[in-house]
Amino acid sequence: MFRAALSWLVLAPAIAGAGTLIGKLDLPPPPERPAVATRGFLDRSENPLAPVKPYSVTPELVVVLEGGETAMAAPQITWELVGESFARPVIAVPAGSEVVIKDTTKVARTLAAQEDKQLIPAGPINPGGTRSFRVTDAGRTYTIGDRDAPHLIGRVVVVASTLIGYPDETGRFEIADVPPGSYKLRVWYRDHWVARSDDTVTISAKGKTDFNPKLPADAFGPAKK
Amino acid sequence: MFLSKIWLFLVALGAAVALTIALVMPRPAQRTLVTEEQRRLAVACSVIDILLADDARNRVELAGTFGRAPEVVGALENASAAEHLDESRMKQVRDVGETIMKGISGRKPDFAMLIDRRGRVVARVRLDQDDFGDVVAGRPLIDDALAGFLRDDLWAQNGTMYFVAAAPVIRRDPPVAYVGAVVLGHKVTNDLAKKLVGSLNVDTGFYLGNDDVAGSQAVAFDHGVLGDAVGKLQGGDVARDCQANQPFDLAAGKDEYTAVVARLPGEAQAHRAFFSVFIKKPEARGFMGTLHAVRQGDLSTSSFPWFLVADRPLRGLAADAVRLAKGEQERLREDSHGGKFGSIARSVNIHIDKVGREAKSARTNLDQLLGPAPEGSLGTIDLLSSPLPPRPGSVPPVSVPPPSDFRFGGEPAPPPPPPVAARSTPPQWPAQPPVTPPRGSRTPPPQPVAQAPLRLDDDILGGEVSGPIDPYFKQVYDQFISVKRSCNEPVVGLTYQKFAEKLVRNRDDLMAKTGCREVRFTVYVKDGKAALKATPVRDEA
Repeated sequence: MFRAALSWLVLAPAIAGAGTLIGKLDLPPPPERPAVATRGFLDRSENPLAPVKPYSVTPELVVVLEGGETAMAAPQITWELVGESFARPVIAVPAGSEVVIKDTTKVARTLAAQEDKQLIPAGPINPGGTRSFRVTDAGRTYTIGDRDAPHLIGRVVVVASTLIGYPDETGRFEIADVPPGSYKLRVWYRDHWVARSDDTVTISAKGKTDFNPKLPADAFGPAKK
Repeated sequence: MFLSKIWLFLVALGAAVALTIALVMPRPAQRTLVTEEQRRLAVACSVIDILLADDARNRVELAGTFGRAPEVVGALENASAAEHLDESRMKQVRDVGETIMKGISGRKPDFAMLIDRRGRVVARVRLDQDDFGDVVAGRPLIDDALAGFLRDDLWAQNGTMYFVAAAPVIRRDPPVAYVGAVVLGHKVTNDLAKKLVGSLNVDTGFYLGNDDVAGSQAVAFDHGVLGDAVGKLQGGDVARDCQANQPFDLAAGKDEYTAVVARLPGEAQAHRAFFSVFIKKPEARGFMGTLHAVRQGDLSTSSFPWFLVADRPLRGLAADAVRLAKGEQERLREDSHGGKFGSIARSVNIHIDKVGREAKSARTNLDQLLGPAPEGSLGTIDLLSSPLPPRPGSVPPVSVPPPSDFRFGGEPAPPPPPPVAARSTPPQWPAQPPVTPPRGSRTPPPQPVAQAPLRLDDDILGGEVSGPIDPYFKQVYDQFISVKRSCNEPVVGLTYQKFAEKLVRNRDDLMAKTGCREVRFTVYVKDGKAALKATPVRDEA
């Protein structure tokens, strides 16, 4: 799938004696499809032949392991613009990383972060071109979009970890090269951390560790303040 | 001597007052005229809004029909399974799309996009038709279509505005599955603008920010003024812009216009898409202009004092007629109207009485004339269920006005309902029957219709019409279809042609039997089903 085009260029070599965390998110029923962002003259209408597809939440989920003691170099992350959207609408980025946005479409885009207009260098990104920026503060989030294309929205959440996993359509995820130790597993959905209780996971020195986090029923609701 | 001075003073005073009145009177009249023009602009703006929504409904139906073509389903299903799209596949699918496009009667789309379930463009027809393979998923219209929704949108591309509609493409053989989507686009053109205002006696223009896109008349307006007016329309529902916006003055060269603006919805809103409705300002006549406009009849003794009672009898009759139309009274009040107006009222009352008598006498035998309705077509034909035929101008017994009420040409459109209501009613989309019943606990889907040849069936903006279409029969047909759908009745095989033929036969039978001048058909709901009532109308002469 094109949306799986998010790629990492990890500068540090694989860690010896590291384990892998695999798991499957236990997801609550998906939320209702959001209201149309750009409504035409009419409301959208369900087709009469087949049930409409449920809203897919997994592209907006990110699994992050925080804690541990082994420091890793911040990677360079390539985030692709594919068609009329980002390859993944939400990405988690280790603090200090350089994010490279690559426009693989046929349309030039002029991107800006709502929270910090200076974050992305000004000017359009031509088809095939790139634009990079660096994020430094863990805990910050950036909403990146194109004023001429309101539907084109991508979110960057800056985290204090390089151990990040993206679930597939079924909720399965895998985080490799995890140094042994005890970690706090956190799940980010769209614009907030999902409040969970069973969030500690211990990774063994070798092999795979299974962990299936359960998300609460209100995980996909609005962010709690 | 003294008295003569007093008289001189009084006469001079009277003359001064008369002169003052004469000089001042044109101004209020002018203000009234301007106010009326502004009101007309607001109404025209709302009507255009409704027409565009109605057109969107037809376009979405067309997209749905396009997406149900078996060739499209097969082509997109195969493409979805392919890891890479190549040129030969593109050409093959493009030919499929082109063939279907040629079969569309009425206003043809300016482009079509056939998209596989991964969101890749398998082929484009007519616009950028050599481009393929790019991913268009992410655009709200396309994401919704890929998820199973039918909807419309407005796109701005290369300085051109397109009304677009999209529908999912679904494999109906088990297992039912989504295999892609189709998008049809209609360019906003000068012809479209002209047709929109054809019967409204105003002009309109479409804009993307400071750029003209299309218009019914080539007028070079100051875009700054237009932009300022649009800028005041912040937030809220764009459908209310026609009511919320105040008309404003606008200049184009030496000509002065009054205009209203309303934002257009959809993606194009990001490019500040809007439309204007404008008319030339009425000339300020002033005192001398008013004198030139005075006719001999205006000064006749029967209408003295002229400025107070010139149109009072006519206004009285008009108000009486409105009460009659609303059903507040059964007849016109003959005694309240003098002269020729009283004569008109009496003639109308005579006609009402005669029609009422005919209706009662015809009740017993009309069922035999019309016969039972064919299964699944016209529904139950129930004649004269009420003692009196509907009065001219009365509201038909249909809860939702059909699209034809807002059609171009022919009779002038009635005062429009608020556009919000028109937009808030989700359309019922026709479709072929599903092979397998829908899963889950969804509400029963709307009843399907047969796969008729592709056309913008209610193409209010289209120019080409295959065969003669009687506007009245078409209106009745639209109402009937609308009511049947609202009653969840099948409309399979109920084409306009069949419907009209049935009406013509029934009309002719009824006219031959009763000697009536014409037959009026009324759609209503009886026992939860759409029914049709025929009413003979006799010629008074």
